[in-house]
Amino acid sequence: MMKTKQQQPCINKVKLPGKMVNPREKVPFTQQVDIYDRNNITKPEPPLAGAFKERNTGGTSFKKFYERGDFPIALEHDTKGNKIAWKVEIEKLDYHHYLPLFFDGLCETCHPYEFFARQGVHDMLEHGGSKILPVIPQLIIPIKNALNTRCHKVLCTTLKVLQHLVVSAEMVGEALVPYYRQILPVFNIFKNKNLNSGDGIDYSQQKRENVGDLIQETLEAFERYGGEDAFINIKYMVPTYESCMLN
Amino acid sequence: MAAAVRMPSANQPKSMTRPTRWSDVVEEAYRFQIAGYRDEIEYREVQKTDHVDRWPHNGYVKKLVRRDGCFYYYNRTRECPDKQINKTKLYEY
Repeated sequence: MMKTKQQQPCINKVKLPGKMVNPREKVPFTQQVDIYDRNNITKPEPPLAGAFKERNTGGTSFKKFYERGDFPIALEHDTKGNKIAWKVEIEKLDYHHYLPLFFDGLCETCHPYEFFARQGVHDMLEHGGSKILPVIPQLIIPIKNALNTRCHKVLCTTLKVLQHLVVSAEMVGEALVPYYRQILPVFNIFKNKNLNSGDGIDYSQQKRENVGDLIQETLEAFERYGGEDAFINIKYMVPTYESCMLN
Repeated sequence: MAAAVRMPSANQPKSMTRPTRWSDVVEEAYRFQIAGYRDEIEYREVQKTDHVDRWPHNGYVKKLVRRDGCFYYYNRTRECPDKQINKTKLYEY
């Protein structure tokens, strides 16, 4: 009789001394436990769910546009002081077109894409004024994609960008409230990611790279600038968050 | 503020000093030098304009035009890091 090589995914074939367990038989869980214990075999761990696993986004449209030279940025290598030189005044830019593209670039981790995306977003938010509010719905998907990469560096950059976003213009914080259920789930996963270094010094806190602290700061900014409904919506998505304004 | 007292049209500065501590004057000089100018006097001569975009709440430079026509934008708060203070130049006329 030909033995099939296909195995049921939930039951691993266990080779006991002198006896093969037929993978087609459904072994009850209680018997499975006994088999491992009786034969001093270490039980297999349940498979990882991958909540903290970093995910690749593939190519972003920011990279494509950058390669084509569609951005109004002067690309050069002698810029001092970490600045972008803009070919066009930011006040004259079409925010509906460019701001979502720059937000898309937040997923990037390689130089120079990462630098131009981060600095470009910073400059556009700093000088956008009232042009930022109408573009908020188009920014949610790029923000969600950036947070879903679960990459430490991308997370830190995105959280700082979100903190800047809510203070950049009037009513932006309140406009973000309906989208909390799309962007806050990842906050819930990483909220407790703090380094327990005993009495040592955590330099990532100084450099603002401790994810747990950044999430707490971002949620406080959301609550502060989100209006009356902000806290209850945050609490719904991140149940362990405590208000910084009500107490 | 000695650099802003006299306003000759095309005079070169007589002396240059390096600051050791940060102040508003140092911040101003840092912002102009990042954009490729010595200070505000040279910027006005080169760009042929009297207007410099500034932040309304504290008077820091907001936007400058570079010699090649590109724009530099600056933050509302202090940008000059401690490491760059003694690399900034303060000119006197």
